[in-house]
Order: sequence, then structure tokens, then C-alpha cells
Amino acid sequence: MAGGQDLFDAIVMADNRFHGEGYQEGYEEGSSLGVIEGRQHGTVYGAKIGSEIGCYQGFAFAWRCLLHSRATEEDSKKMKVLESLISMIQKFPYGDPTYANLHEDLGRIRGKFKQLCSLLNVQPDFKISAEGSGLSF
Amino acid sequence: MKDSLVLLGRVPAHPDSRCWFLAWNPTGTLLASCGGDRRVRIWGTEGDNWICKSVLSEGHQRTVRKVAWSPCGNYLASASFDATTCIWKKNQDDFECVTTLEGHENEVKSVAWAPSGNLLATCSRDKSVWVWEVDEEDEYECVSVLNSHTQDVKHVVWHPSQEMLASASYDDTVKLYREEEDDWVCCATLEGHESTVWSLAFDPSGQRLASCSDDRTVRIWRQYLPGNEQGVACSGSDPSWKCICTLSGFHSRTIYDIAWCSLTGALATACGDDAIRVFEEDPGSDPQQPTFSLTAHLPQAHSQDVNCVAWNPKERGLLASCSDDGEMAFWKYQRLEGL
Repeated sequence: MAGGQDLFDAIVMADNRFHGEGYQEGYEEGSSLGVIEGRQHGTVYGAKIGSEIGCYQGFAFAWRCLLHSRATEEDSKKMKVLESLISMIQKFPYGDPTYANLHEDLGRIRGKFKQLCSLLNVQPDFKISAEGSGLSF
Repeated sequence: MKDSLVLLGRVPAHPDSRCWFLAWNPTGTLLASCGGDRRVRIWGTEGDNWICKSVLSEGHQRTVRKVAWSPCGNYLASASFDATTCIWKKNQDDFECVTTLEGHENEVKSVAWAPSGNLLATCSRDKSVWVWEVDEEDEYECVSVLNSHTQDVKHVVWHPSQEMLASASYDDTVKLYREEEDDWVCCATLEGHESTVWSLAFDPSGQRLASCSDDRTVRIWRQYLPGNEQGVACSGSDPSWKCICTLSGFHSRTIYDIAWCSLTGALATACGDDAIRVFEEDPGSDPQQPTFSLTAHLPQAHSQDVNCVAWNPKERGLLASCSDDGEMAFWKYQRLEGL
């Protein structure tokens, strides 16, 4: 009678088995689609951050050149903040998205940039676009 | 037996508008008020009456949310929804705007002077806290922009004797800041409130901090230094803060302001249920686990939300309050004798 039991088993449990197999296939496909979507999202978000910090760095380098020629006392305070910003940007671990203090360090960089703008009396008005910036006249 | 809070007088400080905040000058002789009408008014007494001595009307384009006197009493700072902070210099009865501090991206919610008079702090809906330094020539310079909070920052207050700053936020936390190697850093985060923290007040000694919240509680926090006797853990050389008391069940709505009297130690609260309450620490209660009792409760102190309570720094028991109804009121608080 063992042969008879196997035959009925296959028919009776078919529904359950297909459900399980279907779920498994769906789960795997969903996971790989999720990884692709996550990667795209990460690329865009990472580019935005990189672009923002790149702006700050360019701004800081330009001002460092401008202030280098002058050596007044109040400029030395500005230089100190400038150098501090440049140093923070250079120390930032660009290659490690799992860095524990990522948001905290980003916050410090943004804060230092704002402070620098306040000291230089410059209003920051950068348009950071994902499409890439171009020169317009 | 409940102690008493007696009404001394009411003044329509900002008619047809909200009165947002009140600040006594260091000698307790003048009271600054600010409101939704974009004005700051300076009040003084003439006999038994409060009269308006000055109106500062050209400073701001939008609501003035807070005002603060410098420790010397010669300057007044006003924080506005127009994203600026004005510094006014007092010249007898006149006030002149000497500087406008810009930089915040949107509404400035609070401003506070450090006890040294050299530092000023501002905070905003842009989630940041700014620390400014002022020199002898009245030049202001930004020394730090702190992005520690994750939401709107509602209030900033300085420690009465140390150069330490506290901030309260819509993110339900209180943060403390100190200067470390030429830069300001967040040295502690106080978690516990279940909703927006609206205001803060240090006790006269600076060892304890009171916070009030949208969660309808007042929390008292105590500072523990590394190596403390009570065995409270500290990380490195930073002090630790622990919540040592929670006052719940007393307020039926959001608590918008709290004030700790430097003369008597009494704690007053301003509530969204239009009432003013006063609490005092029970004598003989354990300093590590203090208990506070409600000693005065005045329902309908105003006809709308009470936004601010302020103890006079020189006259014991003199309390000022203001409300969304545009009025300001003066109260005499006294403990009734006989038990």
C-alpha cells in the first residue's frame, strides 16, 4: 500500500507545494530587484552628498587663495575656520558608506561651512543637481 | 493647603495679537514683551501701574518670538520668525538697533545671553543652534553652527555659572553643549520626554535642569560628574545627566514654558489649558530623588494658552505671565503660613 500513499500525497499536497515554491521564487526575484533598486538609490544619494561636499571644498580652496594674500588679524580667524573645514572634508571617509558617524560628521561639515559663510559675509546659494552643473552665461 | 497666587494687574500688551514672551531686565525694573504684532515693548512701573516706556517697531518683518536682556542690562536681543535676531542698545528710554544677526534659514525660535555677556545663542526651525561671540566694539561673530538636533529647536538657555548651553527640540530631546578645543560640541543628550520639549530652566545652583513638554510632564534632570558618589556612569570626562524626577498628572495640556525662581527656588509653569501652576521642592526630600508638590494652581489665569511665565529677579514672589490672548498679567505668589 506504500505506493498508493505516495500517489495521493502528491495530489493532495500539490496546492501547498506550489504555494511554497511560488513564494520562494518570488522572494528571490524580489530580493535581487531590491538590491538593484537599492544600488541605484545609493548611487544617486551618494552623488548628492559628494556634490555638496565638493561644492564646499571648491568654495574653501577658492577663498583660501583669496585670503592668502591678506594677513590681517581678522583674516587669521577666517583662515582658521577655513582650514578646519578643509581638514574635515579631507578626513571624511568617502569610501565607507557604513561609517558609524557618517551623519554626525556631515552635520559638522555643514555647520562649519555655514559658520564660514557667516564670517565671510557671503550668502551660500548653490544649486546642487544630480544632472551635473554646467556653466551658463 | 494650597498657597496663593494673587492677581496684581492685567495689561493688554499686544492687542489683537499674541503675546509670546516676557523678559525681566537684570535689576527687575523693566519688563520686555514681544508678540505677533512684530513689536517689542518695554514696560516700567509708575506707582502701581505698568506703563509702556518704549515700542521697538522697526526691527522685524514678522512675529517676534523671544526677547532676552544681556547680563549688564544695556542690550536686548529679539528673535523673530523673519529669520533674524536684532540686538538693541539701551540709551535711557530709547533703544537703537545696533546689529541684525542673519544666517538661520528660517524662523528663529529663541535667543539667550551667556552669564559672561560675551556669548549669545540662537536656535531655529532650521534645526540648528548658533553660538555668537561679541567683543567690546559690539561686533558679533559666529563661532559655531551646531546641527545636533533632528527637528525644530524651540528654546536655548545658558547654565547660570558654567559656559554650557542647553537646547530643547521638537525631536523630544534636550541637548547640552560645551566648548572643546576651540569648537562647540554636543556633550549630552537627555532623552525621556515623549513629545516636543518646549522650554528649559536651570535651578539657581545650575546643578539641575527642568524641562517641560507637549507630553504634559515636567522633568528634572541632575548633572553627575565622572567619579560621582552615586555611581552614575559617565563616558570619559563628560558629565552625565539623569532624570531624577517627573511631574505628571498635573497639567491637562501642553506645557509651553517653565521658570525657576532664583530667589525662592519655586518652579512656575505656563500651560495650554490657560492655567499657571507653581511647584516647590518638599523640604527634606532626597537630593537624588527629590519630590515636588503643587503649591499653587490658577485655572483661567488667561483666556487662552499661557505662553510664558517669568519670575522677577529681585522681588520675591512677583511673577509675570503672558498669553495668546495678547495680555500680560502680574501675580503675587506667597506661601501661606500655618500647616
